[in-house]
Amino acid sequence: MQLTGLLWGGKLLKYVGFPAAEVLGPEASVDDIKALIEKHGEVFIKPIFKGGVGKKGKTGLIGRVKDIESALKEKERLYFTTHTSGSSTVKSDGVTFEGAVPAGHEVYFSITESTVYRTTTMTITHHGGVEIEELPEDKIKVVPFDPLTGLKSFHVSNALEELKAPAEIISPLVQNLPRLWDLYNNYGMTTLELNPIRMMPGKGGRLVPVACDFKCAFDIDDTAWKRLNLPSHIFASDYSEFEQEINQLRTYQGQSDVFIINDQGTITAPTFGGGANAMVTEILGDYATISSDFGGNPPYVKMNQISEIVFKHWLDQSNVLFIIGGKANNTDIYETFRAMADALRGYFHTYGPKPIFVIIGRGGPNLIRGMSYMRDTLDALGIPCRIFGHDSAMSEVVNYAMKVNEWMIKEGKKLIRAKLTK
Amino acid sequence: MHKQGVEKFPYYVGIRSLSEVATREDRVCVLNILGTESSSVTPVSHEFSGGNVVFGTGPGKSGQILETKLGSIPVYNSVKEGMNAGHKINTAVIYLPPAGVKDGVAEVVRDNPDLKKVVILTEKVSVKDSRTIRAICQTNGVDVFGANCLGVADAWNQVRIGGALGGSKPQESLVKGSVAIYSNSGNFTTTIAVYLITSGWGTTTSISSGKDVYIHFAPGEFFYVLDNDERSRAAVIYVEPGGYYEHGLEINKPTVACIVGRWKARLTKACGHAGSLAGSGDDAAAKEKWFMDYFDVDDIYTPENPVFSKKGAVVTNIAYIPEALTRVMEANGIESDFEPQGDLSLKCWFANNQGLSLPPELDIPVVEAVTPYNEQIEKVNRQIGAQFPREALKDASGASMMDPKTQVTKVHNVSILDASKYSLEENLVFSLTKEHPDEYRRGLANIAFNSYVNLHGDSILTASDASREGGNSPNTVLSSAISIIGKGRVKRAIDAASVLLDLFQYQKIMDSTADFDYKEVLQETIRSSDKDKLLVPERDGFAEKMVRAIDELDRKSIFIEFCKDLARKEERFLSADTILAATWLTIGWSSLMRKKISRTTILSLPWYSMIFSAHIGCSVPSEWHSKTSFCGEDLDDFIENRSFTETAFLALIGHRPAEVELFEFTVLLGLIISNGPGTISAQGSKGAVSADGPEQPERVQLNKAFVGFLTHTGFAHGGNGYEAIEFLLERFKDNGLKDPGDPNHGIDLKGIAAKYSQWYLNYKNREKAAGNLEYRKIPCVGHPVFKGKAVNIDPREEFVSKLLEERDSYNIFLDFYRHLVQALFETGATRNVFCVNVDAVIAVILLKAVWNLYREGELTEKDIENAAFTTFLFGRMIGCAAEIDDHINRGRNMDTRTPASKCSFVG
Repeated sequence: MQLTGLLWGGKLLKYVGFPAAEVLGPEASVDDIKALIEKHGEVFIKPIFKGGVGKKGKTGLIGRVKDIESALKEKERLYFTTHTSGSSTVKSDGVTFEGAVPAGHEVYFSITESTVYRTTTMTITHHGGVEIEELPEDKIKVVPFDPLTGLKSFHVSNALEELKAPAEIISPLVQNLPRLWDLYNNYGMTTLELNPIRMMPGKGGRLVPVACDFKCAFDIDDTAWKRLNLPSHIFASDYSEFEQEINQLRTYQGQSDVFIINDQGTITAPTFGGGANAMVTEILGDYATISSDFGGNPPYVKMNQISEIVFKHWLDQSNVLFIIGGKANNTDIYETFRAMADALRGYFHTYGPKPIFVIIGRGGPNLIRGMSYMRDTLDALGIPCRIFGHDSAMSEVVNYAMKVNEWMIKEGKKLIRAKLTK
Repeated sequence: MHKQGVEKFPYYVGIRSLSEVATREDRVCVLNILGTESSSVTPVSHEFSGGNVVFGTGPGKSGQILETKLGSIPVYNSVKEGMNAGHKINTAVIYLPPAGVKDGVAEVVRDNPDLKKVVILTEKVSVKDSRTIRAICQTNGVDVFGANCLGVADAWNQVRIGGALGGSKPQESLVKGSVAIYSNSGNFTTTIAVYLITSGWGTTTSISSGKDVYIHFAPGEFFYVLDNDERSRAAVIYVEPGGYYEHGLEINKPTVACIVGRWKARLTKACGHAGSLAGSGDDAAAKEKWFMDYFDVDDIYTPENPVFSKKGAVVTNIAYIPEALTRVMEANGIESDFEPQGDLSLKCWFANNQGLSLPPELDIPVVEAVTPYNEQIEKVNRQIGAQFPREALKDASGASMMDPKTQVTKVHNVSILDASKYSLEENLVFSLTKEHPDEYRRGLANIAFNSYVNLHGDSILTASDASREGGNSPNTVLSSAISIIGKGRVKRAIDAASVLLDLFQYQKIMDSTADFDYKEVLQETIRSSDKDKLLVPERDGFAEKMVRAIDELDRKSIFIEFCKDLARKEERFLSADTILAATWLTIGWSSLMRKKISRTTILSLPWYSMIFSAHIGCSVPSEWHSKTSFCGEDLDDFIENRSFTETAFLALIGHRPAEVELFEFTVLLGLIISNGPGTISAQGSKGAVSADGPEQPERVQLNKAFVGFLTHTGFAHGGNGYEAIEFLLERFKDNGLKDPGDPNHGIDLKGIAAKYSQWYLNYKNREKAAGNLEYRKIPCVGHPVFKGKAVNIDPREEFVSKLLEERDSYNIFLDFYRHLVQALFETGATRNVFCVNVDAVIAVILLKAVWNLYREGELTEKDIENAAFTTFLFGRMIGCAAEIDDHINRGRNMDTRTPASKCSFVG
């Protein structure tokens, strides 16, 4: 759950009184934009990407204008622009107009959790406005601090002094930056990044730090972010419809994590356990529709609901339903298999029989009861299956599932369909 | 700020050797000990560890206990209360919900200065709470394992602390050896241990670290304590992407590192382990490189490319761990701990090809599972028939459902449109066995049904006659009759079926007509009480008549032939009950073996059969039943040669159906099988089952369930089909129509339709002008779903019409309806061309069947109304049988009632 840009970031900064550049949303009228240009002399136009998208400036996705005509042109160019990073491409939905902040100094600042220091850290440099990874280490200061007491003024001043930052920026930053800890700590953030903070001359020439971009990530397991009353559409692009449906079942009893691997995949694998999830998804590659972890001993009702959602979204296109996990330590196999088998029966009832091959690899408490329940259900539905014990290597079972998938593509699906409709 | 522990670390680490991670001396307190997971896991841990759990907590649960085989564990409201009771602990296990974990840790740290270790099982602990927990424990000198882990275990010490490492049988996985395990995955901790056994390696200490963002006891600490543990000669570490915990390690003992999750570089949010969300520097590829550098190897180990050094090997598949470890240890001159046990090849425990021929490489055979699973599998394989989970079935059904879009109901997943292509007897069999019968079994069903249609001399007829004479509707008349077919009447048949089932259930017969040698069964010691249930001392002419008819069929039933041979062997005779039982066992066997139906259902089939027969038999008065005939037809011929559909037609119309008539009648019955579980008739039958208590299925009175169906039909539900007939009679009774099936009838349908439409338009306008919006609607025209287009079509009517057209079956009444909807539009009575709905199809088929009798004065309008209603009952009997059987098998006692809170008073 990530949030970028000042449109919402500016609102969050207001909670702790941290100054941010003046920003108008996509709904801004021509007169509003004109007034913004007049007030600041220059306006930045940035596309709105939901979720976390960085490096916009690098890819030419920031407009910089001084008149309304150019502003409207840039608005048109960037309103629905796309941004590609690695394998994912996102489309913007609107633009923001941000008043330029004249400044002689740009500062980078972030708070995040560090697995190196195993505590919260502040990262700061007065060489901001660029990608932090591009700076040499001696120009950046990473400061771990005690989360029980939080980020303190001395952390900031010590760091800036060690960096030999210009004296005039130290005091305003020492005064303002510790407030960001409140935002970070009180609203369930795992990352908060302001880059750049521009040091704008204020009254009497004293510099004022003004946030000119905003990025943060929230912890899905911390409900504190809900207190911010952010509209749900901000995070909508983070989750597909399928993932959102599953997420509604997110409780502490049992895992229910899913991620779409390939929406054209042909093997749907409800996976049990984080390790099994990592390994099975790795081997299946793009054959997999989803990656999932349903371990943690989910109760019947939750597993049944999860299965209903998974089947509804993915079974129609699948050749193989692949239920896989190691030898469970605590997950009740009878309960989870009964829940899945009942959901499968329900699916066939609602959507009609589907030509699939079911492959299972599992171990754990109540194993045989669970396997036999599943076997009986599959028999009744007329679905071919292979059910392997936990003494079969999980990776071999995955390989078998992939071979069956190939056969299904070649002829199996057709043969099973003919059998089901006979 | 942290307490000083092991000097090497810039933070607190208290444990110096792996052997200290889980010891027999540790004394444990479990927070939320009575929670669902803890209460099942803790006793096993406690017993395995020799009783290491001193007490548990649960707010408000002081005084309660958790039973274990080593005695009960006391429960207190709080840690403080437990400490005040004199208990001493050094380890806390946290099973609290995520929001309570931080406070739980704070509580146990504050109230117990002797605390050294905390094991947190809980998943989804927030990052904020994790960092706070770390800060608290660092300040107070406490080692933390987890969160989101499965705890720690030691095979040497026979101790496990925290979660369920090794499940309910930890001794199976935690076998003493020389390898230490550290795993980000709880499940893989013991899966790796089990895999290692196949190469002869046992374990020392196993640590499930969890894979949240915060890992408190990380690989750095693990390799440090490994060095100080003399028992451990090697290590296996399973890690996933995300975090720098594996960076800069100092590894001094042979180690196999398994790194899985290259694909996780694609993740934009956590899936599975929360801490597996990696950046560019800590992804799986980076971690592979770190470990390759530690081991001085330049590639990943695979069986095909076994790259390893004395220091170790890197694998990306846990299945390669045993082999890689063995190779590394060989390089160090170290032999395995014990002889390899088992292997990791594919072992299929259950399989079904569903009759398909799979390629040999995929057709993996079933092998015997390892003990104790093989014994368990044998036990479950001896269970026959389906076992359905029970649930409240109010307004729900496992038998039928209506698609709100198409308005087509499906019964056992077959649409009523498709079902209408099957005969009455086929659909009746289908309703209970969930399979339409083949020709042989259809023949058997006809014999079974027709044998019990004639009820000459039976008190049932007296009851139905009396009811009929009392002026009751057809459903009420049938209710009186069906009430009498209680369990007592069919007990002998059910007993016989039960004996046969017991004798044959484990013979692995899938097809009841297969070539099966039952000699051994015949020679088995069959209890004399069971023989008495199958055989009678005196010749039974009725039974012989049935057997004669069955012998005429082209195949042989194992069960019927067995009964015949048994009778010969015992020099006794078969009863009709036994033949009925063997017949239905033959029909339902494959459904039972394929677990489509339950044992309860197959044993009830003779009862259902008699009830179905009585529905038809009692629909005509007693004078139509005689010793030798039914409805004037010879009884022997009847049993041997007629289908049950023909019988139903005969009872309804009074003559044998011609081929076209039979076809149309079949379609008609098929269309009215079901309208889903919400219909009143279905609700009536389900309510009757629910009231008897399906959780004890033997107590449910099937006949009463059918009475429930019958009494929940009436002039408005079932009897309303007559409205359309009445409408058509008005249009056609005086125009000299001779044969409704003749397309050259010479009647001006368009003209009649136009004339009526004009009249209807005037009538409608008149009524509307007078403020009456409840004006009479034309029956069977229009539908609330199939509307709004320029020309509307009810797909069900379209389907049946096509079916009739394919058979060159013309129906003037249906033709008229088509003209009528067009004329209504043309005259402006309707705003578009309304559909002719499926109810019209039902009416026109029936009217066509009775037209001549009506024209000749043999049937009155009242008779036709009764016939329409009775036809509905015959068809709906099929669907309700499915509902009744479904509710018996799946429903709960009294599950159809409505809670008082949901009822309203409208007085």
